[in-house]
Amino acid sequence: MRTLVNQPLPERETADEAGNGLEPSAFADLYTEHSRPVYYLALRLLGDPEKAQDATHDVFLKAFRKMDQFRGEASWRTWIYRIAINHCRNLQLSWHGRHVFSNADEMVWENAAAQTDSPLRVLETKELGLRIQKTLDGLSDEYRLLLLLVADQELSYEQIAALTEQSSDSVRGKLHRARKAFAVLFEKTA
Amino acid sequence: MKQQSKFSAEQNSETEHQAQSQQQREFASPEELLRFDAAQTSVPSAVAERLQRSTETISPPPNPSWWRRFFGGTNS
Repeated sequence: MRTLVNQPLPERETADEAGNGLEPSAFADLYTEHSRPVYYLALRLLGDPEKAQDATHDVFLKAFRKMDQFRGEASWRTWIYRIAINHCRNLQLSWHGRHVFSNADEMVWENAAAQTDSPLRVLETKELGLRIQKTLDGLSDEYRLLLLLVADQELSYEQIAALTEQSSDSVRGKLHRARKAFAVLFEKTA
Repeated sequence: MKQQSKFSAEQNSETEHQAQSQQQREFASPEELLRFDAAQTSVPSAVAERLQRSTETISPPPNPSWWRRFFGGTNS
């Protein structure tokens, strides 16, 4: 039996390799490799460090239980992201009273003055996290998720499209609007 | 004494302002900004510790070697 202790988690296992062949050390690799992006995604989707910690724990616990179900049809990153996105969505759905932006709200960004190709200027990074959270909180759930996913350089547009259940063209179009919306709101948080 | 304190506070404020100016950054896009933010964000160690306890309760104790990689041999 091969040992995975000192090996990185393979990105595209075959179904056989991904099943019983995985030893517990593969989970450690999974955690080491993907816990930061999962935590960051949860942090910015939920907007609360404690909730993000809980979510990260729960997501990896689900992954631990389901590792034998990984079939290698997606990368480990997209597999764990899918669990994380569903988990955060369920949490958000259970929180009543959360403001949900309508399409009409999104139309505001279409006429906004900010240019998407203008750089975002930051005078100090100390409070940057708060500004980013405030900005993301002002976006629709979909825009927020798309921006967070595209920020992960390990994900292709095709993978983002699969994760968000839409076409790559649709992702590109929405990202254009999401970037613009983000820029407008970010300026307001200065 | 109060004047000295005030002067000190002003000096500190000026120093902070200069430090802040030096930290000015530009990000070409929201995703670049988010990437920077993500790189500054680390996962609290409490998550891995809690996960260790949780996995021990739902399955046979795993090979300690895979948790030693996180905790430097302190697998309890």
